[in-house]
Amino acid sequence: MTGTPMRTGYRALSRNGTGNHGGPGRINCDGQLYTIEGIAAALLMIMTAYLVVNATSVYTAGDTHISDMQLEQMGSDALKIMDTPLVENEKSPLQEIVENPGSVNNATFGSMFLDLTNLKTNSGSDHIQYTANYTCRIHPGNEIASYPLSYSRNLTLGEHAVRVTKWVIVTKKLPPSAALATDRAVLVEVLLWRD
Amino acid sequence: MGFLVSFSFFFLALVINQSTLVGQSTAESVIEFPKSDIRDISQVIKEHAQNNGKISDPVHDDIINVSLKKEGAVVNYTLDLAVNGLGHDPLIDKNNYSLIHFNNGVTEYNENWTSK
Repeated sequence: MTGTPMRTGYRALSRNGTGNHGGPGRINCDGQLYTIEGIAAALLMIMTAYLVVNATSVYTAGDTHISDMQLEQMGSDALKIMDTPLVENEKSPLQEIVENPGSVNNATFGSMFLDLTNLKTNSGSDHIQYTANYTCRIHPGNEIASYPLSYSRNLTLGEHAVRVTKWVIVTKKLPPSAALATDRAVLVEVLLWRD
Repeated sequence: MGFLVSFSFFFLALVINQSTLVGQSTAESVIEFPKSDIRDISQVIKEHAQNNGKISDPVHDDIINVSLKKEGAVVNYTLDLAVNGLGHDPLIDKNNYSLIHFNNGVTEYNENWTSK
C-alpha cells in the first residue's frame, strides 16, 4: 500500500475557536512564565531599593546607652562598698556618715566615693562628679523628706547624669525632734556624671 | 539562577535593615530591668530581720513609703520571726520567714525566704 503517511502529531492541539496566531503555528502559555518572572523581579528590585534607602539610621555609641549603664554599675558598686562594714559587727562607713552627716558637704563621703569611682588602671584619675542626698520618712505619718549629703560640684542641669541608690539601715532620730533614735531605713541617692 | 540569587540578596538587605532596631531595643530592655533595686531591697529587709526587726517597726513604713515615692515601686513584705511566727516552735525551728513583694509597673518580683 502506498500513499502519503498519516501525520498525526504534526499539529499540536490548538484551542477551540482560535487559529494560527503568529509563531510557528503553536499557541501555548510560555509567555506567561516570562511575564510573571519579570513582574516578580521588578517588585524585588523596588523593595530592595526601598530597604537600602530606609537603612540610613546613624547609630552612635551614645544611642546604645552602654556608657550610661557602665557608669550606673560603677556608682552602684561604689555605694555597695561604702555600705560594707570594715570590721565585723560594726557600722559601715555609709551608715556612720548618714547617722552623723555634719555640715552639708560631708568630706568623708566625698573622698571615699571619689576614690572609688575615679580610679584608673594607669596614672591620672577620671573626671566623675556627683551630688548625693538621703531620703527618709517623717515618723509618724507618710511624708518623706530629702536632705543633702555631699556634692563635688553644683548641679547646673546640663549634665547627662545617671542615678544610683542604696538603702541603709541607720539608728537616728528622724525627724530630729523625735524622742528616740530607732532603727530607720533611709535611701541614699547619688547622681553621677562624667565631665 | 540569577532570580534565585536575588532572593538571597533581598533577605540580606532585610536583615541588615532591621538589625539596628533589634539591637537598640534589646540593649534598652536590659538596662531597664531593675536588678540592683531588687537586690538592694531584698538585702535591706534581710538585714533588718537579722537585727530582730518586726513589722511594727518604723522601718516597715519607711521602706514602703520611700520606695513608692522615690523609686516608683510598690514594695511590701512580711516578717515572721521565730519567736512570734505562726506555727514555729522557737526551740526547734529558729526560722526567720519573709515574703517580699516588689512591683515597679514593668517588673514584678516575689521572694519567699526562710533562714535557719
